[in-house]
Amino acid sequence: MKKKEFVIQLAEYCEFENNGLTLETQLKSVEGYDSLAVMSMIAFTDENFNVKLTAQQIKELSDFNSVIELIGVDKFEDD
Amino acid sequence: MMNQIISDNIRILSHTKNKNMGTKIYRIGTYLPENKLTNEQLANDFGRWEPEKIESKLGIRERHIAGLEETAGDLAYHAAQNVLFDYDRQKIDMLILCTQSPDYFLPTTACILQDRLGLRTETGAFDFNLGCSGFIYGLAMAKSFINAGIASTVLLITAETYSKHLNSKDLANRTIFGDGAAAAIIESTANEQIFNFILGTDGKGSNNLIVPNGCLRSKYNPQAVEKVTESNDIYTENDLFMNGPEIFNFTIEAVPSVVEKCLEKNNLTLNQIDFVIFHQANKYMIEYLRKKIGIPKEKFYSNMLLTGNTVSSTIPIAYDDAIKNGLIQKGNKVLLCGFGVGYSWGATIVEV
Repeated sequence: MKKKEFVIQLAEYCEFENNGLTLETQLKSVEGYDSLAVMSMIAFTDENFNVKLTAQQIKELSDFNSVIELIGVDKFEDD
Repeated sequence: MMNQIISDNIRILSHTKNKNMGTKIYRIGTYLPENKLTNEQLANDFGRWEPEKIESKLGIRERHIAGLEETAGDLAYHAAQNVLFDYDRQKIDMLILCTQSPDYFLPTTACILQDRLGLRTETGAFDFNLGCSGFIYGLAMAKSFINAGIASTVLLITAETYSKHLNSKDLANRTIFGDGAAAAIIESTANEQIFNFILGTDGKGSNNLIVPNGCLRSKYNPQAVEKVTESNDIYTENDLFMNGPEIFNFTIEAVPSVVEKCLEKNNLTLNQIDFVIFHQANKYMIEYLRKKIGIPKEKFYSNMLLTGNTVSSTIPIAYDDAIKNGLIQKGNKVLLCGFGVGYSWGATIVEV
């Protein structure tokens, strides 16, 4: 999966308002990023990458890139 | 002498022949408190989640909330009355209550219920403390008591008032949990209709769903300070705390394997199961688990819309509802799976 595609898919899965989201967008600034969205994010990474995001890791997330780093950069293609 | 021996043998044989060799859920009664908390009320109070968003994501529109003076013992009493209405109470010889919000530290709420329900004093009665896996454990105990000849008819009640454990400023948990009770009559029967069990525990997760204060390790603290979660929910150590992400991770890890082991232990495949009822944690979570395990949608029952997550009562409420709606019919095999606080889990298969 390409990194930019990841942002689009994750945003759709978590039902974020996608108004110009980029890899550098801070998750906490995203409209709709709440505990319900976190539940979706856990499901998304489990379903697509077999990666479980722990509560502590989620707490420490910054931008979309930080989610990619947790999943493993090697699982993504450069855009 | 010889005649006496022959006569004794005939009596033993006849007793063996007539003896019921199994157990079944005879029927279930439920009770929900009158007060309701709707998504609209939550939206008005908190201004964070639209009512439609709560319903579409969590599958909950409203939940029932016990009154100030209404306890789990009261809910249990009403659920029991609803199931026993025309049943010969003299037949009940064991009363088991599952609750994590008992009326008192002591005495046992089940003992009070024995008297309130007018059950014989020859009835064994006790509480056990489990949450979302509680109904499965209760079935395992009821089956064991009956098959061991210790009891003949068990009244298994699940009753919970989690609302009393919640901080009024905790939107996430107030959205999910509702109060309620269910009472099941478990009887002996000719063929076993409550099949084999898978039970399990991982106490390492105990801090992820907990009411830290109020019991004896850490007493209720009137000066407890407010804490704010990542999602801006407020709670103190006197209140229920749930680490949502970790609970979800636990279920993703545990439930598929519990279902698989339960099928294996009963020499059945998913194709031979007519219906699956999971603990109704929330719609998103159990739908995700359903898809991950590969349970067909038409075999999966979800009914938390008007109740929310009633903890140990979700499975019996759903089971009763599915029977009343005609979704589950006599002879159907239904896989039941409970999982949550503890962590604790359990699964079994029952034949309706």
